[in-house]
Amino acid sequence: MSTVQTAERPTPAPASMTPEMKKAVRRTGWVRRAPLMPALIFAILVTQLPFLLTIFYSLQSWNLVRPGSSEFVGLANYVNVFADSTFRGAALRTILITGGCVLIAMLFGVLLAILLDRPFRGRGVVRTLLITPFLVMPVAGALLWKTTIFDPLFGLLNFVLSPFGVDSVAWVSQYPMAAVITALVWQWTPFMMLLVLAGLQSQGKDVLEASATDGANRWQTFRWVTLPHLRRYIELGLLLGSIYVVNTFDTIYMMTQGGPGTSTTNLPFYLYQRAFLGFDVGQAAALGVVTVIGTIIVATVAMRLIFRSFSREDS
Amino acid sequence: MAAFGGTDTRARKLRWSLLNTLVVVYALVPVLWIMSLSFKTPATLNDGNFIPREWTLENYRSILSTTEFLRALLNSIGIALIATAIAVVLGTMAAYAIARLQFPGKRLLVGVSLLIAMFPQISLVSPLFEIERTLGLFDTWPGLILPYITFSLPLAIYTLSAFFREIPWELEKAAKMDGATPGQAFLKVIAPLAAPGVFTTAILVFIFCWNDFLFALTLTSTERSRTVPVALSFFTGDSQFQDPTGSISAAAVVITVPIIVAVLFFQRRIVAGLTSGAVKG
Repeated sequence: MSTVQTAERPTPAPASMTPEMKKAVRRTGWVRRAPLMPALIFAILVTQLPFLLTIFYSLQSWNLVRPGSSEFVGLANYVNVFADSTFRGAALRTILITGGCVLIAMLFGVLLAILLDRPFRGRGVVRTLLITPFLVMPVAGALLWKTTIFDPLFGLLNFVLSPFGVDSVAWVSQYPMAAVITALVWQWTPFMMLLVLAGLQSQGKDVLEASATDGANRWQTFRWVTLPHLRRYIELGLLLGSIYVVNTFDTIYMMTQGGPGTSTTNLPFYLYQRAFLGFDVGQAAALGVVTVIGTIIVATVAMRLIFRSFSREDS
Repeated sequence: MAAFGGTDTRARKLRWSLLNTLVVVYALVPVLWIMSLSFKTPATLNDGNFIPREWTLENYRSILSTTEFLRALLNSIGIALIATAIAVVLGTMAAYAIARLQFPGKRLLVGVSLLIAMFPQISLVSPLFEIERTLGLFDTWPGLILPYITFSLPLAIYTLSAFFREIPWELEKAAKMDGATPGQAFLKVIAPLAAPGVFTTAILVFIFCWNDFLFALTLTSTERSRTVPVALSFFTGDSQFQDPTGSISAAAVVITVPIIVAVLFFQRRIVAGLTSGAVKG
């Protein structure tokens, strides 16, 4: 490390440099990159090799149920994917689950963050308890909602609602989508809350005082001063949240198995079904490639935003 | 706070504490309810009482007396610890380069490593399954450790580089001026400053590995490497437990409560870790 830090910032190579000097600059560049390399090489090996294999599979007609059935079929699997109405349904439901979860969680997150931004006794403990759902194992969380809250017999929800004439509703099978989104919102609200809270606490007090002096009431201050300040944090939370929620698998596997029918089958669960229950390797691979392309598009937008905050910090 | 401050009258204080109570109840009721279920006898399981009328440890005894759950617990702890250790070491090196050094193409490299974090895991599951079966890694500890390291690396790099950027690196130079060797300067000055960030990252990465379900479900097939989330999901199906609700609750408590205790213990650190990456990063 000590060799590297002698020249902290390499001067940009001027046009007058000799080839040897340019080479030296390039070499220090590689020395500087070195610590980053193991992580990068590792990640590329473990993600990109399998992905190349996925692309290869996606061009084959290969079903594990028929041994030796592997043959090259070109883009036929892709044509099937787009002709597949279950796929389109799954894609739509993925958007619905992701959008619904992230937006509702953000709304709750903002409200909770405003609550927690006030100093009160035991704030630290309350904050910790509020983060808990985010750190509870998602499988356990999903089970918890399914078997202890929504269950028609043991469920807490029916018990609480029984005085109001609600009787033995099987929440998960009657309102599967709402049930899944509720569990996901419960899990993701803390994350949003933490981000917004960080935003609120980075807001200068003087701005708020100034707006109060100018005669703004509390709602006006929030709407026109605090909310614009929070915008960056809210955007970041929505994007980071979406990236993870799009991949939701455990909650759906545990709560509904994609059902009843396909009413809660999202893309990850559909892919899993095709590959591990339908043994249709070629078809599942094509689905995987389409999902990856979709994700890359979304991720690129997300990266822009992250880098915007990166460069702002560095400047 | 000032946005909603003003003079705190008694009524307002009361309103706020009422709100706060509601909020805590919302976050905690599911957890408390499952704790209560885990102590109930099968007969009183569905009586709807929040506090069990008959307390029993039978549910805990039944899960802890089977190898099914104990072995999964051992697998989970071992796999998550090893993956965390390796990911944190690799991540520390990478984050050091990102936070500390200037080199051409840095943005691109950071971008690639973040893109990998967003790579949909599900699309890698069936090729990984094939590769691991060919290499003999299927249903082994390394078979899970490898993907865990990969997918936790971006999280580690992200959090660590945010922490590293805050370290006053001039201190290292100052120590050397005072006659310390580079090794001493690093060990005595930089390492203590970096330790909290590394520790926070380790907690987050551990939780990430500990919670994984998808890889654990698809890349294992026997007790040899099956982890807790998968074992838990099998409780619902045809296992030896007749009425699994009590056992599920007990198992959920066993795996959840340590995490909650850890969070209570390290809450400042975890909050810093969760927000610093996103906000300052």
